[in-house]
Amino acid sequence: MTSSVLAALQKRFNYDSRSAVILLAPVLIVLAAVTIYPIFYSFYTSLFDINLTRPHRRPFVGFGNYLQLFDDARFWVAVSRTTVYTVVTVTATAVLALGVALFLNEAFRGRRFLAAMLLVPWATPSIVNGLMWKWIYDPTYGSLNGLLTQLGLIDSYQIWLGDPSKTIYLIAQAAVWKQMPLAAILLLVTMKSIPEDLYRAAKVDGANVFQRFFHITLPALKPGFMLVFVYETMISIRHFDLFAIMTQGGPGDASFTISWQIYIETFRSLKFGTGSALAFILALATFLLSYLFIRMLGQRGADR
Amino acid sequence: MRSSPFSRLSRRGLLKGTAATGALGAIGSLPFGMAFGQSGQPLNFAAWAAAVDQVRAHLTAFEGETGVTVNYEQSPPANFRQTLVTKFVGGAPLDVLWVNDAWLPEFAEAGWIVPIDEYPNLMAYNAEVDQYCTESMTYNGRQYGLVYYADFMAFLYNADILEQAGIAAPPTTWDEVVEQSLIIKEKGLAEYPLLLSLEADAWLIEFVSTLVFAFGGRFVDAEGNAVVQDPEGGAVAAMKWVQAAIHDHKIVSPGAVSTQEIACLKAFGAGQHAFGVIPRYRIRPLNNPAESQVPGKVRMALMPKGGTGEHNTCGWVRFYGMTPEAKADPAKAENVVKFIEWFGGRSNGEYTFQKMLMLDIGVPFCTTPLDSDPDIIAFYNEYLGGTETVSRQGALAIKKDTVTPWFGEWNEINNQAWQKGFLRQVSAEDAMAETGREWDRLKRSY
Repeated sequence: MTSSVLAALQKRFNYDSRSAVILLAPVLIVLAAVTIYPIFYSFYTSLFDINLTRPHRRPFVGFGNYLQLFDDARFWVAVSRTTVYTVVTVTATAVLALGVALFLNEAFRGRRFLAAMLLVPWATPSIVNGLMWKWIYDPTYGSLNGLLTQLGLIDSYQIWLGDPSKTIYLIAQAAVWKQMPLAAILLLVTMKSIPEDLYRAAKVDGANVFQRFFHITLPALKPGFMLVFVYETMISIRHFDLFAIMTQGGPGDASFTISWQIYIETFRSLKFGTGSALAFILALATFLLSYLFIRMLGQRGADR
Repeated sequence: MRSSPFSRLSRRGLLKGTAATGALGAIGSLPFGMAFGQSGQPLNFAAWAAAVDQVRAHLTAFEGETGVTVNYEQSPPANFRQTLVTKFVGGAPLDVLWVNDAWLPEFAEAGWIVPIDEYPNLMAYNAEVDQYCTESMTYNGRQYGLVYYADFMAFLYNADILEQAGIAAPPTTWDEVVEQSLIIKEKGLAEYPLLLSLEADAWLIEFVSTLVFAFGGRFVDAEGNAVVQDPEGGAVAAMKWVQAAIHDHKIVSPGAVSTQEIACLKAFGAGQHAFGVIPRYRIRPLNNPAESQVPGKVRMALMPKGGTGEHNTCGWVRFYGMTPEAKADPAKAENVVKFIEWFGGRSNGEYTFQKMLMLDIGVPFCTTPLDSDPDIIAFYNEYLGGTETVSRQGALAIKKDTVTPWFGEWNEINNQAWQKGFLRQVSAEDAMAETGREWDRLKRSY
C-alpha cells in the first residue's frame, strides 16, 4: 500500500518537487496549526453571539457582530484613537530614526559603542518600558515633574497621563522611545548600501549637502522606509501592552484603542463573538495598510 | 497544468493528522476525567493571591483535622474572574472557590456555582453574621456561600493634619469636607486634601457606589430599572460634587483618574492627604509604623452625607462557593462542606480563620460574635481608636445594587462614563444618562 502510494507520487512529481514538499511539510503543518486554523476559527467565532458567562446559548448572528460594532460609537472612538496613535508613533519613529541613522552614518570616535547603546531601549521588555514611563509620568512622585520643577520650567506638579488631551501622545512617546532604535538600525543598514560613487559624482556636479540628501540618500532609503513603515504600522496599530500598563484605556476614553477594546470585549466582558469580530477588523486593517505601503514604496523603488 | 503538490498533501494529511491528534488527546484525557469524578480525591480550591500565609496555615490545620487533601491554586487578583470562567468553560477540575459578590448572578445563572442552603450546618452561621453579608451571597432567594471576608469603604482622616489646621472634628457632610479641605489647603498642609482613587480598575464601582449611596442615590430601583440618570438623584449630585472638588475647589487631584487604589494607599500613608475614601481593611497598614509614615494618626469617621444621604457606604463580601461537580459527588460534597465551614464558619468551635485574618493583616469579617472578642477590641483600639465608628458604619453599609448577570459588561461602560464625567469631558447628567442607557439596554438583552 505504502509502496504504491510512493510510486504514484514519484510518477506524478519530479525529485525537486518531492524534496520541496517533504522539507517544507513540517513548517506548513505547524503554520497551519498555529496560524491558519486560528485565523479561520476566529472568523467563524465572529459569526456567533458568544458570551462565556452565558454558556447555554450561542446563536449564529452572521455579520451581526460586525454591524453592531459599526453602529457603536465606542468603536469609532477606538478607531480614532488608534489612528492618531499609529500616525504619531510611526511618523515620529521614522523621522527620529532617520536623524539617528544619519548621525550614526558619520565617522566619529565611539560610533560603534553608541550604536550598540542605542539598542538598549529596543531590548527593554515592553512591560518594563510601560512601568518605567508610568512612574516617570506619575503626578505625585514622577521624575518628569521633579526634573521640570528643578529646572524651573513648571511651578507645580503637572498631571500627565491623567490629562486626556496629553494621554495618547505620552503613550506614543513611550512607544517611540522603544521602537525607534530598531528603525534607526534598519535605515542605517540601508544607508550603508548606498554606493559612495553617487555622492562623489554629485559633489563633482556641485550638489550641496541638502541636494545630496534629497536626491541621493532619501530616494535610496525607500526600501528601508518601506520596512520601517510596514513593521512600525503593524506594531503600533496592534499595540496593547503600553495601554494596559499605563492607562487601562483611560482616563475616560482617552486611550481607548481597538486593541484595548478587543481585550475588554474578549477578556473582561467575555464576549468572544464581538472580540473576534474586532480582531478580524484589526487584522484586515493591518494587512491593507501593510499592502499599501509595500505597493507605494516597493513599486517606486522597483521603478527607480 | 500540474496541480500543486501541497494541495493533496494538505487536505488528506492534515485531516488524518488532526483526527489522529484528536483521538490521542481524547484517549489521553480519559483517565484524568475519570479520576476527578471519583470521591476521595483531593479538593481543588481556587483563590486569588491574597492572605496566602494565613490560608496555608489554616489549610494545613484542615488537612490534619479531616485527612482531606486540598490543591490550593492561586491566581492574580486582577485576572481571577477570567481565570475562573476559562476553568468553568474548559471543564477544569474545581470544587471550591472564592467568589466576589459582583460575580454571583452571572456564575449562578451559568450554573458554575450551586446553592449551599441545603446544608443546615452551614446555614446555621447566618444567625451570627451581619445581614448585608448574607444578602450579598443570596441570589434569587438562594444562598451560595459562607463569607471569606466582608468590608466597606471607609472615610479616613489624618488626625495630625486636622489638628494642625485647627479643626476640632472630622467632617460629617460633603459640604464640610470642602470647607475643611479649603482650610487645610490654605494653610499649606496638603495640596490636595481629599484623596480619591478614580482609576478605572476593579475598585471604581465600590468608590462610585459609596459616593452615590452617601448622596442618598441608587443606580437602580427596586424593579432593577436604571435610576442613576435621574437629574435630581444622588448619582448626578455625587458626580457634580466630585467635578467641583477636582475642577473648582481643587481639593482633589485631577490625577485621581489615573491613580490606582494601591498608589492612593501609599500617598495617604506618606501623609500627603487629610481625608481619603479607602477600604476599611487598609486601616492596619496605614497605622502600622513599619508600613506608614503616619502611624497612629489615621482615624475613621462616618462617611460624610450629602443631599438626602445618611452616612451610607458601599459594603461588599467575598465568599466560599461550591461547584456543581463537587455537589454531584456526595463524598466530595461532604468534604467541600467541611472545608467551607472550616474557613467560613467555626473551626474546632472557634472563628479562628476570621480572627487570624483580622489580627494578622486587618482583613475584616462579618461574624458578629467576634465584635466582643477581647483581641479584636484591642486591635480596633490600637488601629482605629475604638470600635464605635466601625460598628455604626458597618450597620450603614449597603451592598452594590448593580450586581446582576450583566454587571461585568455594564461596568466597563459605567467606569468610562464616570471617568469622562470626572474630567468634565461630559456633564454629570450626560455621563449618568450614558451609564443608565447601557444598563437598560443590557437588561433588555438578558
